[in-house]
Amino acid sequence: MSLQVEDALVDATTEKRRSPTRTRLWGVLLAPPAIWMIVFFISSIAIVVMLSFGHVNDVGKAVFGFSLDNYKALADPVYLKVLLRSAMFAIATTVISLVLGYPVAYTIALHGGKYKNALVAFLVIPFFASYLIRMYAWSTLLADEGLVNQLLRDTGLTEGIRFLNTPGAVVAGLVYGSIVFMVLPIYASLERMDTALIEAGKDLYHSPLQTFFAVTVPATRAGMLGGVLLVFLPALGDFVSAQLLGGPSTYMIGNLIQQQFFEGHDQPLGSALTVVLMLALLVFMVFYLRATQRVNRET
Amino acid sequence: MATDAMTQARRGRSVEGKPKFAVAFTALFMFILYVPIVVVVLFSFNSKKSLSVFGGFSTRWYQQFFHDEALLSSLRASLLIAFVAMLASIVLGTMLALALERVSSRPARITGTVALIPLVTPEIVTGVAALLFFAGLGMKLSLVTVILAEITFSISYVAVIVRGRLSSMSDEVEEAARDLGCTPFQALRLVTIPTILPALIAAGLLIFALVFDDFVLAFFTTGVDPQPLSVRIYSEIRMTISPAINAVGTCMLLVSVLLISLSLIVPRLLGRKDSSLDLISGG
Amino acid sequence: MTEPSLSFNRRDFLRGSFGVGAAAALAACGFSGDSATPSTSASASAAAPMAQAKVDGDLVYYNWADYCDPTVLSGFKEKYGVNIIEANYDGYAGMLAKIQAGNAYDVALPGARYVELMRKQGLIQKIDKSQLKNADQLFGWGSYFDNPWYDPNSDYSTPFSMWTTGIAYRKDKVTTASGTWQDLWNEQAKGHIYVLDEDDEALGMAALKLGLDVNTANPDDLAKIKDVLISQKPYLRAYSTDDINNLASGNAWIHHAWSGDFLNFINNTATDPENWVYELPTDGSPLNSDAWVIPANAPHPGTALLWLDWIMQPDNVEKNINYIAYPLLSKSGPDIYAKMAANYPSLEVDVSKVVNPTVYKNHNATDQAARNAVWTEVKAA
Repeated sequence: MSLQVEDALVDATTEKRRSPTRTRLWGVLLAPPAIWMIVFFISSIAIVVMLSFGHVNDVGKAVFGFSLDNYKALADPVYLKVLLRSAMFAIATTVISLVLGYPVAYTIALHGGKYKNALVAFLVIPFFASYLIRMYAWSTLLADEGLVNQLLRDTGLTEGIRFLNTPGAVVAGLVYGSIVFMVLPIYASLERMDTALIEAGKDLYHSPLQTFFAVTVPATRAGMLGGVLLVFLPALGDFVSAQLLGGPSTYMIGNLIQQQFFEGHDQPLGSALTVVLMLALLVFMVFYLRATQRVNRET
Repeated sequence: MATDAMTQARRGRSVEGKPKFAVAFTALFMFILYVPIVVVVLFSFNSKKSLSVFGGFSTRWYQQFFHDEALLSSLRASLLIAFVAMLASIVLGTMLALALERVSSRPARITGTVALIPLVTPEIVTGVAALLFFAGLGMKLSLVTVILAEITFSISYVAVIVRGRLSSMSDEVEEAARDLGCTPFQALRLVTIPTILPALIAAGLLIFALVFDDFVLAFFTTGVDPQPLSVRIYSEIRMTISPAINAVGTCMLLVSVLLISLSLIVPRLLGRKDSSLDLISGG
Repeated sequence: MTEPSLSFNRRDFLRGSFGVGAAAALAACGFSGDSATPSTSASASAAAPMAQAKVDGDLVYYNWADYCDPTVLSGFKEKYGVNIIEANYDGYAGMLAKIQAGNAYDVALPGARYVELMRKQGLIQKIDKSQLKNADQLFGWGSYFDNPWYDPNSDYSTPFSMWTTGIAYRKDKVTTASGTWQDLWNEQAKGHIYVLDEDDEALGMAALKLGLDVNTANPDDLAKIKDVLISQKPYLRAYSTDDINNLASGNAWIHHAWSGDFLNFINNTATDPENWVYELPTDGSPLNSDAWVIPANAPHPGTALLWLDWIMQPDNVEKNINYIAYPLLSKSGPDIYAKMAANYPSLEVDVSKVVNPTVYKNHNATDQAARNAVWTEVKAA
């Protein structure tokens, strides 16, 4: 699916290849979903943008306005720090997912044999069981007096390790929650890849490792880019992982937004934070689309 | 000569043997993936109220789950949300995919881009936007608002999956059908829809699973109706958690195994080689 | 304020001259004024005659998770043949936000200052005490809560439980406790200390440590509070209101905790109760109470009254004290609790102190915003 996302994104920004078919049917088909998206998505995003220029009045109500006060408030270094921290966490999540996910996709795609489908299913199943329950199971296992630390103490090697409430735990939670979205697109592009390429590469390069980096990796760049997109975006806006596994200094922008809407009572400030998050993503998407188009031209 | 021989040896090894490292790594990966799952399933049968000490086999948490009206009503709410969101987004998403694939006008292309934005928007943004939208309209938050938000989020997923399938199918088939006297609508119903059925099934299963497990959107848009299961689990995890949650998790796991098996088997029953799983994974 | 927290004033809207067509179209159909918000029904029901205690539908119930004995809930369902639709919150601010957003619950359990806030904002309705058969359990026997500070004559609420905020720690890990809030900066437990994830509690704790008023909104005071809370971060494991689980998991050696949760943990979960201490810091400890309210927009106020009555019935009071381990504010409550907490003098909750300066009070909008900002910046730092 993920590959298709990225194909479609490229499609959307480039000229169509197909010749138009002149029937009214398609126009009729387009209308209901288009109207739905305008009413429920575009206009609600517009409200967020508009409210970000508003303020909270004396009785604690959020009202529209036209001031940059919220954005000025966001110039405080504290907010910048949170934005940078979120970006660092999201980048770490993406890189770790790529490094861990690639060998898995590779093994299943090229050495899965007749078990390929079963292995993919096996990989996907856990991701369809509640994310929250799985996170909770982890936090129980990794607690200071949880099963893992008990086992570690039994070995006598260590007094126990503090896993939870650390930046590492937040990133691990993010990786655990989204790595499947890295594995699947890479798997798909490996599947599509012509294995004759690898054979040819073996004649050209000396070691399998060299072949891997010179032939296989470049051939699957599209899949990797798809995976990066699907892992990075949700990670940047996440607040659950930091909430359940984080410590005193692991607040992410998602937590800040959530706090403004559910605790802090400053919805206009929360809206401004949301707009900042969207802008950050927009910048990312511009670079991303350029990269995808380059890959498409090359292959 | 020596290097030649070495290359030969290396080449031989890599062709016949699997890369042991990658296989071992994948096995370890799967193991870690399943550790919490095993813990959830195992401790759902624990006779003790502990998540670290196993006291013996018991079904008490299942009994508690099946008698816990609050949990059951949350489960029903989540099933309802997932089911309605699935049906509505399949219909709307398929319409969108068909239109985008067959129309090349400028407005259609813009719509196409816009329809994909939800895919690249973090859920918290969608959640905040939906919350403000419903509050601004004076709509009370309820299961209805959750469903509306989930449909909006799902349409693009369906559109992308179905479009992927459509683009590999030539529209000449439709034209042939029309040459044989079909109206455009008949061509759609008799030719196009049956062809993309596996994609529809795949998209449906995926949406059902995603929406059923979705937490963020539900958290932002839920009202006082029975809370969706994910929202209830979240508040229990943050406060005092009952081991009955493990029983809930085990049941969800069973359902997902069932759904995924269906997605593998149903297309085969319909006489197709490509399984829905391929479509989900993009293969 | 009876409107939901977000409502759109036409003049504000027009002043911010935006050309977004879709949004403008929406303005025409509901964004334009306060009349389209749920406030209409809320103010109408406040003015309407008070509800009668009889079943008028299922009970929509809003409380902390697990803050009521399940048999008390199931007993209510059986007795009145209704369902209980349960929702939970994990902090008062979140609870208030949901109710302000127009979510309609039949009963909710806010903390004292939130009762006052909701009363002033017209979010809760007056309760006809003559409808409550067990009213004599709560009122008229010399209880302070006949006329509490947050709700004159308890017209809009029925008192439920009470607690202090203090420090829980384990003796095997911490031997250098000073008996003051400084213990939340204890070197021995560095990295194993939790602070409650509630703005009032965190700011109040820091204020007491600094010798300031727990309710201060003075900018200089707030700046000091912010600094001291940020200085605490290296000592902390996390901010969390889930004190029971954090104590049980072994992750917490020292926990900023509520007295009732500590006793609940000792009674139900702790494997080594004698290893644990609940300390009431000598530099002052916050005292808080909560009360049941019926929101103004409650769909079933009749069933809600029956619930208020049910929860104060003596046998249910006893069940609940045993389950949640908080003293309940009815005639029989203090004795049952005293017996339970007999071994822990620090867990005593003295009702006479409810007027003391360590009770969390409300602020005007500006001061509240200043306090919110401090808490946001502390957590973000």
